[in-house]
Amino acid sequence: MAGLARPGGVRRRVQVIGAPARIRSLLRFRSFQSRLLVFFLGLFVLVQASVFLSVNAANVRNARQQIDEALDVTASVFERVFRERTHRLLGSARLLASDFAFKKAYATRDHGTILSALENFQGRIGADAVMLAALDRVLIADTQHPQRTGTSFPFPDLISAAEESERGEAEAVVFIESRAYQMVVVPLLAPMPEALLCVGFLIDDRLTAELQGVTSSHVSLLRKTGDGKWDLFASTLPGGPRQRLPSDIRGTGDGAVSVGGGEEYLSRVVVPPGGGRGAEVIAVLQRSLIEALRPHRRLQAALAVLFGVSAAVTLAGGIAIGRTVTRPVLALARRARKIEEGDYSEQESVERADEIGHLNKSFNHMVKGLAERDRVRDLLGKVVSAPIAEELLSKTIELGGEEREVTILFSDLRDFTALCEGRSPKDILSLLNTYLTRISAVIDGNGGIVDKFVGDAVMALYGAPLRHADDGERAVRTALGMMMALEGLNAEFLEQGLPRLGMGIGINTAVVVAGNMGSLTRMNYTVIGDGVNLASRLEGLCKKYGVSIVVSETTRALAPGFAYMELDRVRVKGKSEPVTIYEPLGEGNRVGPHVLGEIEAYGEALGLYRSMQWERAGARFAELKREFPERFLYHVYLDRAAEFVRNPPGGDWDGSYTFSEK
Amino acid sequence: MRARSSGRALSTATRFPRLGALAAAVWLFALPAASEGLDVSVRDAKGRPVKDAVVYAAAKGGVAPPPTGAAAVIDQVDKEFVPRVTAVRAGTAVSFPNRDRIRHHVYSFSKAKTFEIPLYKGMPPRPVLFDKPGVVALGCNIHDWMSAHVFVAETPFFAVTGPDGKAKIDGLDPGEYDVEVWYPRMKDAPRSTRRSISVKRDKGPETSFVIQQAPAWRAWRAPAASGGGYR
Repeated sequence: MAGLARPGGVRRRVQVIGAPARIRSLLRFRSFQSRLLVFFLGLFVLVQASVFLSVNAANVRNARQQIDEALDVTASVFERVFRERTHRLLGSARLLASDFAFKKAYATRDHGTILSALENFQGRIGADAVMLAALDRVLIADTQHPQRTGTSFPFPDLISAAEESERGEAEAVVFIESRAYQMVVVPLLAPMPEALLCVGFLIDDRLTAELQGVTSSHVSLLRKTGDGKWDLFASTLPGGPRQRLPSDIRGTGDGAVSVGGGEEYLSRVVVPPGGGRGAEVIAVLQRSLIEALRPHRRLQAALAVLFGVSAAVTLAGGIAIGRTVTRPVLALARRARKIEEGDYSEQESVERADEIGHLNKSFNHMVKGLAERDRVRDLLGKVVSAPIAEELLSKTIELGGEEREVTILFSDLRDFTALCEGRSPKDILSLLNTYLTRISAVIDGNGGIVDKFVGDAVMALYGAPLRHADDGERAVRTALGMMMALEGLNAEFLEQGLPRLGMGIGINTAVVVAGNMGSLTRMNYTVIGDGVNLASRLEGLCKKYGVSIVVSETTRALAPGFAYMELDRVRVKGKSEPVTIYEPLGEGNRVGPHVLGEIEAYGEALGLYRSMQWERAGARFAELKREFPERFLYHVYLDRAAEFVRNPPGGDWDGSYTFSEK
Repeated sequence: MRARSSGRALSTATRFPRLGALAAAVWLFALPAASEGLDVSVRDAKGRPVKDAVVYAAAKGGVAPPPTGAAAVIDQVDKEFVPRVTAVRAGTAVSFPNRDRIRHHVYSFSKAKTFEIPLYKGMPPRPVLFDKPGVVALGCNIHDWMSAHVFVAETPFFAVTGPDGKAKIDGLDPGEYDVEVWYPRMKDAPRSTRRSISVKRDKGPETSFVIQQAPAWRAWRAPAASGGGYR
C-alpha cells in the first residue's frame, strides 16, 4: 500500500510545482510583439478602467447627491403644498362655520335641519365628509352616518387639539372605514363656541398624483397600524414598488422613520401636517435613481464604445509598431540561421534611419565579411587539407615549424605513363582526378592529411598538424584501404576497357620538422626531414620487392596490430644506417594460418640468408618460390643467394642490402 | 369705579337724564338700611385679576324683589360691543345703539333670549327685554369677532369686576347670602363657585374667588383700516 501511495504523492507534488510554472510560462511571453502588446493593452485597460471607475463612482455619487438635494427641496415643497391645502380646507370650513344661516339652522336644534344644512355645505365645497360635534364631544350630525347622532365623536384627539389651539382649529389625517381623510376642525361661533364643525377631504391616489405633479417625485402616504406595521393608503408608485414599500420602512420610532429597500429609489420621509405627533401618518417621497442615472448610463454606453474603439486602435497600433521592430528582427534571425547553414545568398537591404536600419546595415556588413571568410576557408580547404586550413586560419600564420613525430605516407601509381599514351590530357586529368579523389577519401577517412599531390603521387601526413595516439596504425590502415580502393577502381576501369593500375606505397615514422615553409608571401604547411625522404625511398622500393606497401620498422613498431612480412634490411641512398622494412599483409587477426605458415617458413629462410648460409638459404627460397610462385620476394632472394654464392660479401656484412640508386 | 354698574347707571343717566335720575333715586333711597356692601375680588388660577366677571348675591331663603323694569344700554363702538359684559336684572330692557357709521346686525341664539336686530344704523326702534334669567351671548352677523354677554340675574344684587378684578355688591341688607360668580370663559358652572357670606351692618365683608378660565376662541377681526372711514 505504501508503494502505491508514493507515486500519487510524487505526482501531487509535481502538480503543485507544475501549476506556478505553467502560470509563469503563460506570463512569459515568447515574442517581443506580444510583450509589447500586452504592455500597451494592459496600460490602456488600466488607465481606461480607472477613469471609467472613477467617473462612474463620481456620477453615481453626483446623482445621489442631486437626488438628495432635490428630495430636500421636494420635502419642503411637499410640506408647503400639504399645508396650503390644509389652509384652503380650513378656509372653506371657516366660511361654513361662520355662515349666519347655518347658525340659525343650528339654533333650531333640529337634527334633520342641521344634517341637511351640513349636506348642503358638503356639496358647496366638494368635501367628502362633514360632521358636527358638540363641545362635550358628542356627535351632533354626520353626513356619512346620519344614524350615529348622539354617539361620541370618533376623533376626540382632534377636538383636544382644537381646544388647545388659539382659534379652536385643528387638522389631522383621520381614517373612516379605512379610508384616509384630511380633516379640519373649526369652531361654530354664535358668536361664542357652540359646536365644532369637521370637514374631511378624501386622501387617495388623486391627491398623491396631484402632489407628484408639483414635486415631480413619487409620493406615498402610509399609516402606522396597531402592530407597528405600515399600511399604504395612497401612492403614485407603480405596482411592484407600491407593494414593497410598506415592508421597506424601517424604524418605527418617533421621527426616526427611514426607508430601506432596493437601489431603485432614494427616499425621504416627511410627516405631513396633521400626521400626528407620533408620526402615525407619514409621506414617503421618492425619486428614481435609475431615472437620475439615465444620462449617466448613456455616457457609460458612449464610454464603452469609445473604450472598444480605442482598445482596437491601440491593439492595431501596437501590432503595427511591434511589426516594424519584430519583422526586420525576425528576418535577420532567419538570415542568421541560413548563414549558420552556410547560405549567404539572401541579401536584404532595409532602408531605414532608425536603430533597426543601423542593425540591418551592420548585419549586412557582417554577412559580407563572413561570406568572404567562408569563401577563403573553402578555397583553402580545397587547396590544402581541411585540418591544415583550420590550423592556418586558427593561428597567426608565420614561417617556421616545430619538431614532431609524424608518419609520412607516399603513394605513386605504376604504369601511369603507359596509361597516358594515346589519350588526351583532358581524359588523363579526368582519370587522375577520379583516382586522387578516391585516394583522398581513404586518407581523410583515416584521419590523415593530404600534404600535396605531385602528379599521380600523393604525400599524406599522420600526426601533423593534428596528433592522434594511433597515427602509425592509421597510416598502415590507410595504405591497405588505398589498395582496396584501387582494386575497386580497377574493376571499374576493366568495365570501361581501361588498363589496370598498380600502386606503390611507402610509410615511415620519424621526428621531422612540421610548419610553414616558403617565402614570406607564399608558403606551404609541410614536413621536412630525413624521415620524409625515407618514406619516399620506401615507396620506390616497392617495385624492387614486387610489393605494394613498404613500411619502415619505426612505423611497424607503432602499428603492431597488423600482420607483416619482413622484406629486408636495407641501406637506402644517402643513409648509413640500415632500416628493416616490412610489408603489411592485413589486420593481424584476419590473416589466415597458411599465411602465418608461409611467414614462418620465410623467416627460417631469411635466417639462413642472414647467417650467410647462402646455399641452404637459396634452396629454401627456391622451395618457397615453388610453393608461392606469385610472391616476387622469393625470386629476389633466390637471385641474391645465388649471387652471394658466386660472389660472397665481405666479413663485415650485416645482412643488409644497399641500394645505390635512387 | 368702585361699582361699575352704578357708574354705568350714571352714564346712562347723563345720556338719558330723566330716566337716569329716576332710577338713581329709586336705587339710593329705597334701601336706607343697606350695609356697607360686599367687596368681591376675582382672580384666575395664576392669580391675575379677572375683568368682566359678574358676581351676584342671593339672600338665603329670601324672595327676590319683583323686577323693577330697569333699562340698560350696550353700545356698538368701533365694531365692538361696549361693554363686553353687562349684568342686568331679569326684566331689564336693553337698548343697542349703533355708534358706528356702518350697520350692525345684532343677534343671539341663547336660550335665555333669542333675538335678532337686522342690519340697522343708530338707535334700533325698541329695546330688547331680557325677561328670563340666564346668559345671553350677543354677536353681530356681519362682524364675527363682535361678541358680548348679558348676564340676566334673578337677584338685584350683582356687580361686574373692573380691570383690578374687584367689584362691590351694594344694597345688601345684613343677613346670609349665597354668592356666585359668572364669567364668559369660565370652565365650571357658576353653581360650583357658590359660597355663603354673612353680611354685617357695620363693616362690609370681603370675599375672593379663584376661577378656572376656559380657552377663549375669538373670530378673526378684520383690520381696522378697512372700516376706518365708517366709524
